[in-house]
Amino acid sequence: MTELVQALALGVLIGGVYALLASGLTLIFGVLHVVNVAHGAFLVLCAMFTWWLWRETGVDPVLASVVTTPLMFGFGLVVYRLLIVRVAGAAPAMSVLLTFGLALTIEGVLNVTAGNKFRSATPGYFSESFRIGGISLPKPQVYGFLAAVAVLGLLYYVLTRTWTGRAIRATAQNPTGAALVGVGATATAGLAFAIGTATTGVGGSIMSVLYPFFPASHYDWISRLLGIIVLGGMGSLPGALVGALVLGLGETLTATYGSLRWSTLVFYVVILAVLLVRKQGLFGTRLREDVAL
Amino acid sequence: MTGLMSHRTVHPRTSSLLATGLATAVALALAGCGEPQSAQQNDPDKPIVIGTSLPLTGDFSQPGTQARRGYEIWVEHVNANGGLLDRQIELKVTDDASNQDTVVADYTRLITQDKVDLLLGTFSSLLNYPASAVAEKNRMLYVEPAGGATRMFERGFHYLIYAQPATAPKQADVMVEWIKSLPADQRPKTAAYPTQDDPFAKPVIDTMRAGLEALGVRTVYSTVYPPDTTNFQTIASAIAARKPDLVAQGAVFEDGVGLIRSLQQLNYSPKILFQTSAPSNANQYSDAVGVANTEGVFYTVSWNEKAKTPLNQEFVAAYAKKYNGETPAEDAADAFAAGQVLQAAVEAVGRIDQKALADWLHANPVQTILGELTWDATGAPQSYFLLAQWQGGQVEIVAPKERATTTTVINPKPGWQ
Repeated sequence: MTELVQALALGVLIGGVYALLASGLTLIFGVLHVVNVAHGAFLVLCAMFTWWLWRETGVDPVLASVVTTPLMFGFGLVVYRLLIVRVAGAAPAMSVLLTFGLALTIEGVLNVTAGNKFRSATPGYFSESFRIGGISLPKPQVYGFLAAVAVLGLLYYVLTRTWTGRAIRATAQNPTGAALVGVGATATAGLAFAIGTATTGVGGSIMSVLYPFFPASHYDWISRLLGIIVLGGMGSLPGALVGALVLGLGETLTATYGSLRWSTLVFYVVILAVLLVRKQGLFGTRLREDVAL
Repeated sequence: MTGLMSHRTVHPRTSSLLATGLATAVALALAGCGEPQSAQQNDPDKPIVIGTSLPLTGDFSQPGTQARRGYEIWVEHVNANGGLLDRQIELKVTDDASNQDTVVADYTRLITQDKVDLLLGTFSSLLNYPASAVAEKNRMLYVEPAGGATRMFERGFHYLIYAQPATAPKQADVMVEWIKSLPADQRPKTAAYPTQDDPFAKPVIDTMRAGLEALGVRTVYSTVYPPDTTNFQTIASAIAARKPDLVAQGAVFEDGVGLIRSLQQLNYSPKILFQTSAPSNANQYSDAVGVANTEGVFYTVSWNEKAKTPLNQEFVAAYAKKYNGETPAEDAADAFAAGQVLQAAVEAVGRIDQKALADWLHANPVQTILGELTWDATGAPQSYFLLAQWQGGQVEIVAPKERATTTTVINPKPGWQ
């Protein structure tokens, strides 16, 4: 029984962090229909910066996201204006190529400037746990989970309760209609891209503590995150949360009751099974062009 | 083979078997013509040209660059000491971009067009596998510094020589020997074996487990996890629940760090901790787990900078002089040793006769900076790796005795800090 509770608790904590890491990716796809393959590289970039900040100043890596989030927001805005806007409306393959190139560029720059080495921030609590009954919850994982909940809650609030959020959702659902009522598609898309990138500010900060990383780590992350949002439904924020929890729980439950060796397979089998029944994913909405096909 | 990037990226992924097959086929097709004997070969005024192709760019660029440095320092050393057979030597290096097709094309060109006199191998089993097939087909001696996968030696090649102390599965034999040397009541009674599903980590742990079980060490837990595993709490919980005396992990790098952190979070510290290659990454490892937590961790390695092997001090000094005071990576040392092996054969045979050189190496030991190396008929080396242990933030060699840099062995390992 303790074993089960332990596996469930860890699965939820891990899944929460995965949800945060995937949230920006799904938001950007939902609004821009851009598959941002560079999302993993953005995370690693921010993790590297956070690690450096932590090492130089000793500031807590999770709290450092107060600094890194606005920086990543600005970075997202610049990347959108310089690059992404040029493939707006083009075939999705174009955005995949462009952002893949961007990911390679970031990886290369990090290789040259920061070195091809593993890094990991180790604040004092990184090796400690909270103990409740027979269950142990690693402190960094708990802090990461709390930060993820805060960011996802804020994101949900902004998207559903503010005019900016309404504009973003309107553009996602029907860009022409949104333009007709005075919502500038380009400005809104830029904002959505920047917000999506800003989530890597907190995500990268948490990553720097939880997972040792090096410049090429982004390949592992982007494949995992794409899996999550395909399962949840491309473009759906609640979908990303559910997909991430499925992955987190799948990892801990297969490791506890079977072998970790199967955890990756189990996750992709779930994706396949879901797509066979619902090709838009768990929470994805079918677009008019999908129905027409 | 324990440099960081070598392990991080040398994994032949599932598709590599197919690629290897194709590359070998290409190699056999391309390399079928031409005798390697060149007209200039015995001209005493011309330098002896040694050809190699290294991954200077791409996935293995980090260890590939180290291997190049090792080769170059060896060449400079030989030339400064009168050359080989009274001739200067010249190294011809091409870049294979970590690509199997390119490495095949490179060695084919070195042999058939450039007509080099001798060859030195490339880096990683992935690249050496097809490249050694080109050399074998052309009956050229192929001494390689890094490529210890079992399948390298399952082809019955005669011209292939692996210039490290042991193949991948035998790397931990020295650890088993050390445990065997302990009085029976001090040996671990139980052990856990988590390992990454990695072609260099898993065979080491499998062989070690078999060796320890034969000594009566009971296995209480074992698991194989995929390379992309990032969360180690469940493995750590399972280990902590079973309280093994010894934990032996097939750890490439971040998985080694991840498991230690998770064990710390559960406050479980085994009496003996062995990891395959994660601890060989010097300060990257100690930074990630904390210097105090490295105390007593064991791993195996092919070379040590403090070793009193022939030319080792000269090699370390020449490397530091040439590269801003840096300490050589193990990959550079392995390449230097490959050069020493080639040199020993040529000097003993007294002429460049590829078959005679290969025959000589199959029959004679060679002293290198890695210690004495000997080979079986397939070119697989027959010596031991070194057993290293983190002590006071430094790495010391604790076994075998004649190579140890200290007589102190930390056992049991202190608890986490």
